[in-house]
Amino acid sequence: MVTLTTDVLVIGGGATGVGVAWDASLRGLDVVLVDRHDLAEGTSGRFHGMVHSGGRYAVKDPNAAKECVAENAILRRVAADCIEDTGGMFVTTPFDDPAFADRFAQGCAQTGVPCEEISPAQALRQEPRIHPKISRAFRVPDASIDVWKTLWAMAHGAQQRGARILPHHAVTAIQREGDEVVGARVHDARGGEDLEIRARVTVNASGAWAGQIAEFAGIEGVRVFPGRGIMIAMNHRLVNTVTNRCQMPTDGDIIVPIRTVSVIGTTDNRTEDPDDQTVEQNEVDQMLDEGEKLVPGFRDARALRVWTGVRPLFEDAKAADTDTRDVTRAHALLDHEQRDGVRGFVTITGGKLTTFRLMAEQTVDAVCGQLGEARPCTTKTEPLPGSESGAHYKLGERLARKEATLTQEQTICECELVPRSKLEQAMSRTGSTSLDDIRRQLRLGMGPCQGGFCIYRATGILHELDGLSAQAADSSLMAFLQERWKGVWPVLYGNQLRQARLDDWIFHGVLDVEHLPS
Amino acid sequence: MNSRLSYDVVVIGAGTAGLVAATRLAQSGASVCVLAKGIGSTHLAPATIDVLGYAPDLVSAPLDGIAALTAARPDHPYGLIGTEALTAGLDWFSTTAAAGPYPGYGYVGGLQRNMLFPTALGALRPSALVPETMAAGERSGLTRVCVVGAPSLRDFHPSLCAANLEAAGIEARPVSVELELERADMSTLGIARHLEDERWRAQFCARVSPMLRAEEHVGLPAMLGITDPHVVLTDLEQRFGRRVFEIPTLPPSVPGMRLYEILRSALRAAGGRLALGAEVVSHERDGDRVTSVNTHAAGHDHTYAADWFVLASGGFASGGIELDSHWVTHEHVLGLPLAGVPGPGEARFVSDYLSDQPMARVGVAIDADLHAHGVANVLVAGAALPGAEPWREGSGEGLALSSGYRAAQVIEAAAGAQRTEVLT
Repeated sequence: MVTLTTDVLVIGGGATGVGVAWDASLRGLDVVLVDRHDLAEGTSGRFHGMVHSGGRYAVKDPNAAKECVAENAILRRVAADCIEDTGGMFVTTPFDDPAFADRFAQGCAQTGVPCEEISPAQALRQEPRIHPKISRAFRVPDASIDVWKTLWAMAHGAQQRGARILPHHAVTAIQREGDEVVGARVHDARGGEDLEIRARVTVNASGAWAGQIAEFAGIEGVRVFPGRGIMIAMNHRLVNTVTNRCQMPTDGDIIVPIRTVSVIGTTDNRTEDPDDQTVEQNEVDQMLDEGEKLVPGFRDARALRVWTGVRPLFEDAKAADTDTRDVTRAHALLDHEQRDGVRGFVTITGGKLTTFRLMAEQTVDAVCGQLGEARPCTTKTEPLPGSESGAHYKLGERLARKEATLTQEQTICECELVPRSKLEQAMSRTGSTSLDDIRRQLRLGMGPCQGGFCIYRATGILHELDGLSAQAADSSLMAFLQERWKGVWPVLYGNQLRQARLDDWIFHGVLDVEHLPS
Repeated sequence: MNSRLSYDVVVIGAGTAGLVAATRLAQSGASVCVLAKGIGSTHLAPATIDVLGYAPDLVSAPLDGIAALTAARPDHPYGLIGTEALTAGLDWFSTTAAAGPYPGYGYVGGLQRNMLFPTALGALRPSALVPETMAAGERSGLTRVCVVGAPSLRDFHPSLCAANLEAAGIEARPVSVELELERADMSTLGIARHLEDERWRAQFCARVSPMLRAEEHVGLPAMLGITDPHVVLTDLEQRFGRRVFEIPTLPPSVPGMRLYEILRSALRAAGGRLALGAEVVSHERDGDRVTSVNTHAAGHDHTYAADWFVLASGGFASGGIELDSHWVTHEHVLGLPLAGVPGPGEARFVSDYLSDQPMARVGVAIDADLHAHGVANVLVAGAALPGAEPWREGSGEGLALSSGYRAAQVIEAAAGAQRTEVLT
């Protein structure tokens, strides 16, 4: 068995884990990161794509609001290229308690959330599609973030500093020697081999799965409740500003414009299993109804895809156990040396994407504490690779790039304007033969046609470029189609159903994917 | 502005089913108008006439397959259309294609057996009738093949196609040639136009020829000309000194456009009218009869009155049938009742992509003679029919052709009976 030795083993390739790997690498520590799946395939890749201004928590959870205020400002600097500066708005619709607006303004003032009240007319000029009868409106610095781009930028930055990023490596055992965790055994799902990783400190950054990993280390009582929520991507930018209902946070009260789509979220159902990706019919209906309240005509847009994410909610003994949104969204850092007398092991869980950097900073501080080394954190100031210029991502950029090379370069995915060169680069860089992995990196097949046209092309290119066997290429194609269908069928109606039938026509009627020889 | 026009029959939809029904009726002397929002499915489909490919196992003889299928599932539209209309419809189509606008270009095959042809992925797909430009790709005659593509053709990938053909036991080899094009990517339609230029074609052949090996057939993406495919095919075969065939790939489908042109010109020749961009937005009824439909196009409202209507407006893919965001299904054009709709609480779709999807079989409710329920003078043809899953069964064009043909027969017979009544 191959044995790797490192300073820090990070378990979990979500925002927190990759953030820890990036932070620790910047501090000069050697890092190995493992995830049982791809990066950002868990909770981090399954949210609405919002960077909170803090407004959402201003009334309900002032501490969370303050954290968001600080982290929002930092992320805008260090992850500029991954963030679109959409701005945010809180609006009082006829369905909201009008008295909440004053509490909201007061909460923002107390927690430092930059907030400016504008007239409903101004708000409607900015976002003509929102409900015409809004009575109050506030501008806040919400933004949208491309989480895959962010995580891969950090992962590449860490790799440049020597970190080894190992997606598709599942932990099968945590190795303990007496009162010390000394690493883990992992299984390489793609290569089929087992690896032994010996680390001075092991960081459990597995979010909603943190309890399971802690149990591997023989540590009881790390209880993380998965709070399941669905999100639906609509095919248009129904709004260009993150639009929130001005009310106590509840289901389906945010629409986030991100890339070419807008995402509505979310619901909240406590579940036992963090791998529970159920989408209930009534949740879909609820989201569509709530969407109508914010943007009348919401249902006329095409629902592209639905997905489920699980919030990691660390148990607070004082919380009621009915609504998981009342369990704190704050993060929890467990130094198991102090908590359980087990050295070399740290758990970080809970929290939200907006505060992932802070969580990583505190985690690596704890790691350094266990190592007895003073290494200051630099992630507040060090830009992610690609974000050095400090310029935010703009939606129009991709079209400008495309037009610049219109006659020289093939467009493989028309919906997301993915050029052939970028696809080929991603295929050789990741070495992955999974079209689904490539989808997450390039947004290939994420647009209105859901891969109807680009996936045959991408399969052909992948087959040729990687010298794959027909069987490997075919299974990658079939896996993509199945994975795509998972997010499509529960929200299939209207013109998106037409699209899906056209795609079926292509895959069955023209290509006959069901009867491939391999 | 509103104008009122009267026809014996108005056909709604310009796909294969609608065009066949309209042409047959026009040929029998009826005044016919086809109204369509846009062109139909022809431009998307491979233009092969697939009658029944899978049930769900590979069907070797379509007629036998249909007999078994309709015995097991009497509600399948083939059970209502009948094999007589299918046989007559296919014969009529073969004749029509041969006499069509492309000299020398016709369809080959028949209902006795399915032939297998490579797809762009390299799967082998069963068809009953295919354009002559695809004939040399038939599995039984294919031992060695050189699959030719081009880097500038993003819609066709010869290496993957060849690899899957290899896996199916055919000696297949990919070749990629640089093409003389004005941009980095081009659709098969763009190249089809180039291939009709003799000089361009000669250049293309000069590049491909040296790469060919002994006894190989040459498989190309379906792009062998859009105005004179027979000339392009025979010229390529002559220059290469071997058989050449087309492999259907992503839309727009060049052979599909030829199929559309064959049917459209037959309709014109028979005196039928075709109005595209004419979406039916409302209709009038008198008792259980539809009396007229109204279109709205380019600021002009038109009313089309007719004795008979053929609804060939397609299924979910065309928008003829829709499922709204409250999960209610509608027939979009005339508001007709539907059949096969999953009930409340029943699954619309299932999570396994390759499983039977309950929603896929929804169609307009009909009786044995393709009469739509609830109205006396509307017949249903094509993908609007309930009970089939055309692209998975490999039955799309067979159903379209035979139901269009059958609908015309039913109207002719009824109109004949009416004339007799008037005379007596």
